[in-house]
Amino acid sequence: MKKILIIDDDPEIRDYLSTLFEDNGYQAVTAADVPGALQTAKDERPDLITLDLDMPGEWGPRFYRHLSQDKELKNTPVIVISGLSGNKYAIAKAVASLTKPFDREELMSIVNETLNPGK
Amino acid sequence: MFQRILFATSATEACDHAARVAFNIAAMNRSSLHIFHVLGVPTRGYSQDVMDVKTKEKVEVDAEYVSWVKEEVRTYYEEQLKDKADTEIEVAVGFPHREILRQARAINADLIVLGRSTGQEADSVYKKSMAGSTVQRVARAARCPVLTVSRPAASFWGGLSNIVFGTDFSGASDKAFAFAVELARSLGCELHIFHALDVSAMLVGKAITQDEIEQGRREALRRIRGKYISGMEGIKNYTMEVWEGIPFIEIVKYARENYADLIVLAHHSRPEETEMSTIGSNVEQVIVRAGCPVISMNR
Repeated sequence: MKKILIIDDDPEIRDYLSTLFEDNGYQAVTAADVPGALQTAKDERPDLITLDLDMPGEWGPRFYRHLSQDKELKNTPVIVISGLSGNKYAIAKAVASLTKPFDREELMSIVNETLNPGK
Repeated sequence: MFQRILFATSATEACDHAARVAFNIAAMNRSSLHIFHVLGVPTRGYSQDVMDVKTKEKVEVDAEYVSWVKEEVRTYYEEQLKDKADTEIEVAVGFPHREILRQARAINADLIVLGRSTGQEADSVYKKSMAGSTVQRVARAARCPVLTVSRPAASFWGGLSNIVFGTDFSGASDKAFAFAVELARSLGCELHIFHALDVSAMLVGKAITQDEIEQGRREALRRIRGKYISGMEGIKNYTMEVWEGIPFIEIVKYARENYADLIVLAHHSRPEETEMSTIGSNVEQVIVRAGCPVISMNR
């Protein structure tokens, strides 16, 4: 089963996304901040990451920079999900950037396309 | 690091991303933030009639009008102002670049923050009376570092931890280097020293062999070591790199590939930089194209 790491400081968003991904046949793991997310990414080796930008302490782009410096994790696809204006510019190499409130169909379509290309 | 930040704004969407940078840097440094808005440009000479920047109507400016515009600016930044105690809002009438430079001197600003040029708006009042952009003119003549956020991509994405200092080995670059080091030291940043070896002459037919390019890279790296390493005491995390190409493209690319939060550059050292002289084209291009804020220094 493909695994998705959800990084968001809002517990409601983490719960919502976990349920959405599990209902669609994926395993979900979560983290509430950048240090926790880095540890979880190393431990769990997710196949895809959803990333919030504006979080207390370090922001999402900082996480992406750490991720890109880890040779085991650097190619993990990232989807930005944030309420911040202009969020599509924050991480140039993100698979997609969605603005909260986001369309669940659109998100699942991007997730399915990324994790199961050609299906 | 910055005690007084002057944020010059049109109080429109064009400056929203610069506002995010200005408010966040002010919060990080506990700086006082001076929000400065040039409300209009005189319709001619010393006329009392001005063209209002936001309404684009001809108005007579009096104390009541100024106070109304101040309130408008306050309302525009209401959300950000809730969390920031030490702020002032000032408005003025005149050509924006002159008023911004005047205000920066008046408050002894140690950083000016500017948004993207309103020149991208076809009906900008600022642009109707002046050729060239406010950003260019302020960056050329300011006495303090000028931070520009030209694109939404260059907005604030979570702090300053990774600085690219681009050098052309000029005297002005030495000043910019000292500033970049001080900033990196005070914020605990990683510092990347970068030089772009200009091979643009190849585009107009000049033959440069690969051996010459690689020799140039080696020499530039040696110059970086000789010139800058001794001044980096206290900075543990740094890199040095030389890429060949068109300088402004290479600097922007290098910053992007290294996830830079900030680029620090100097203008070419010329003895008399005024607001009317031309800005170094590479610096100008980096300011316009960078995916992170750019601090330019001219003295």
